[in-house]
Amino acid sequence: MKQLIKKEIIHDLSEAIKILEVREAKDYEELKTLSDHGIENVALHKNLDVISITVLIYSIYKTLFCLKTEDYEFVVEHLTKARDTLKRGNLGLYNNYLKKLFSRIQHCNAAVQEHLQDVMQAARIKKGSILMQKGLSIGQAAGLMGLSNWDLQRYAGRTPAYGHTETIPAKRRMKKALSLFGV
Amino acid sequence: MATKTIFFDAGPIITLVMARLAWILPPLKKQFGGEFYITPAVKYELIDRPLTVKRFQFEALEVSKMVREGLIKIYPSVNDSEVSKIKKLVNGSFSMRGRNMDVLQEGEVQSITAAKNINSSIVMDERTLRLLIENNKRMKSLLERRFHGKVVANLDRINKFSNEFKQVNIIRSVELIGIAFKMGLLDDYILKRRNGTDILLNAVLYAARYNGCAVTDHEIEELKDFLSERIK
Repeated sequence: MKQLIKKEIIHDLSEAIKILEVREAKDYEELKTLSDHGIENVALHKNLDVISITVLIYSIYKTLFCLKTEDYEFVVEHLTKARDTLKRGNLGLYNNYLKKLFSRIQHCNAAVQEHLQDVMQAARIKKGSILMQKGLSIGQAAGLMGLSNWDLQRYAGRTPAYGHTETIPAKRRMKKALSLFGV
Repeated sequence: MATKTIFFDAGPIITLVMARLAWILPPLKKQFGGEFYITPAVKYELIDRPLTVKRFQFEALEVSKMVREGLIKIYPSVNDSEVSKIKKLVNGSFSMRGRNMDVLQEGEVQSITAAKNINSSIVMDERTLRLLIENNKRMKSLLERRFHGKVVANLDRINKFSNEFKQVNIIRSVELIGIAFKMGLLDDYILKRRNGTDILLNAVLYAARYNGCAVTDHEIEELKDFLSERIK
């Protein structure tokens, strides 16, 4: 993870923790402001980790009123753990805490569940197209991102051809195809 | 005389369905006079898996109908042990930080292996597999460049893979569209104006590209020139 991205995420996590440490009415508005700030980061960095954290904060904001006390405490505790492990550079554990947070929040609100699925889907597609750009096949890229080939296919045609030129000229391949079909 | 066959990877079928051009397949098959095959792993990607995803359920039903009506058949004789050997060979050709990097998936390897075994051609929109077979040095340099030199390529393995499949004739969905155009199947779309044919060719070739066929702008221009020349 790039230092700049890491700094942004740690900042957002710290802000969220500060807001949630004491449960009060103004938390809702403050989280919304923080979530808006996150959206700007997404536009700026176009980075999957930033997208994840933005979606997470947005989801906490959306579920705040329906979080039971034990869920609320779980969220604050795990946000803190996520931030601290990221500070230490332990990305594996950091991602694990995020996963737990998503899972807990998702079960609180059906609307959030829908929203999360949409955004995470978009993020997976984005990451999948990057894998294709790097040279992996559509099937392989889709498989790694937990997508179907149908999801990634339309992005394949838009994937930059990375200065690629075909070995067989198009005209020759077309002639071969015509002869194969007896046309 | 042995039946003529063509294997389809998942990509070209997806391209044609998404571009609303799947209807060209029955007349193309009639013209071809042989069988259109997909392997079981390709069937999984085209039908079984999208049937579980709301967004693509109808497309899955469309392909399922093609299979039910016999337009496309499921190839029954995939040699699993050979597929697994080839997968190991190709996916062991590139490594990063000491670990093999998988570049191809089951469906793609099944299709190319089955096509090779019965001297069949294959329709494949996928650039990666085509590069590996037709120009593996470019594939090597592509991966090295894209992963900033962190990828180590095993040329022996890559060459072995390319040699194994170099006889397989690969075409793409754009070529199928070109054949359909040549057969006059798309004539009803031609606008009654001077550059009507040009517009049609542009529209269908780019429809294929924007729905997943790996074809460059330059190739589209070349195809347009070639195909429109033939009807002058």
